[in-house]
Amino acid sequence: MKEQLGVKEIWQVDKQTLGIVWTDSSENRYDVVALRKSCPCAVCVDETTGQRNQALMDDISDKVRPVTIQSTGQYAMTIAFSDGHGSGIFTFDYLKSLGSK
Amino acid sequence: MGFWSKKKTSTQKEAEPRADAKAKSAATSKDPLAGVRHIIAVASGKGGVGKSTVASNLAKTLQKRGFKVALLDADIYGPSLPTMLPCEPPSKMRDELVVPPEREGLAIVSAEMFSTKKAHIMRGPMAGNFVKQLLLAVDWGQRDYLIIDYPPGTGDIQLSLSQSTPLRGAIIVTSPQKVALADVKKACEFFRTVKVPMLGVVETMSWFECGSCSEKHFIFGRDGGTSIAKEFAIPLLGQIPLDSDITAAADAGQPVVASSKSLAAKYFDAIGEQVLAAIGKSDIEQRTSGLGAFSLKWQ
Repeated sequence: MKEQLGVKEIWQVDKQTLGIVWTDSSENRYDVVALRKSCPCAVCVDETTGQRNQALMDDISDKVRPVTIQSTGQYAMTIAFSDGHGSGIFTFDYLKSLGSK
Repeated sequence: MGFWSKKKTSTQKEAEPRADAKAKSAATSKDPLAGVRHIIAVASGKGGVGKSTVASNLAKTLQKRGFKVALLDADIYGPSLPTMLPCEPPSKMRDELVVPPEREGLAIVSAEMFSTKKAHIMRGPMAGNFVKQLLLAVDWGQRDYLIIDYPPGTGDIQLSLSQSTPLRGAIIVTSPQKVALADVKKACEFFRTVKVPMLGVVETMSWFECGSCSEKHFIFGRDGGTSIAKEFAIPLLGQIPLDSDITAAADAGQPVVASSKSLAAKYFDAIGEQVLAAIGKSDIEQRTSGLGAFSLKWQ
């Protein structure tokens, strides 16, 4: 069976930072506002052009925080944000790619 | 469901709130799947290859070994289990959850039980939500295995199921011919994408022995299952020949594995053993790798 990226540990580092230790033992820290602005859902990113809706992104408050972070199957997580947005499915691979930027 | 890493990587982290085993059990005290040890998908991209035959016989052979088993028919457009394992619709509720009907100790839930309509005619998103309900609105109780009989394809229903709950693994069913393999490969890619480990391949309709000669006739070609197993680096769990006992038993509403006289029962028993071995192996991998389900509340 091929090694697949998973979450080994996930925790709240501080008010605005999410920490994840991956199954490959690498570790990433995420600014939660940046995560909100990286939402991959079809409202935030046009499905055909792949263009992010900048007007929507500009409206996001820096005070936005997650409410809950929940696993989705075993390949992704869904983050419900305090601004009521929660339709984005953040795949582990996507989060990993965000972390290494 | 899932293992929680209690390993602390630093003392600094120890003070930080994290989703640990305690928080998890509190958050999911109403999780209807909390008492289910392993959820296994029986799937194939292709229709008509024998998914329901494999799922029902696998459920029975695991039950024969003393495990507590439940079976969910997620094929809402073309359910086969109501014929293969007929069962009365559920009549009881417990804590707002449906108590699944049992047939000889095997809990069975099928879309057919919740509808008086002759056919389910609905679009994708509705179908996705419907199967999610079948999974999450049922009081599964304490079960060693919940086997989900997947519908063919890689659409809304399959995605909803794979997102609703961590699956311990998927068993891929295929018949040997090329036209089946093309779709089955798509299902394998699907499970790869949603990171559900594939436990292995079951090849159905592998050959036919006519009775007047002892030769095996490979009606649908040879080694299709082997080629899938090789391509995706997963085990071949077994091959099942065409056998009228299997069909007759399914149509009579009792999986063939329940009758010890049939040769076909031995094939399914052997597959059950292979599946258990594959799960054992994936258990070890799971423990050394990631969390199962998690839920983190932001403070």
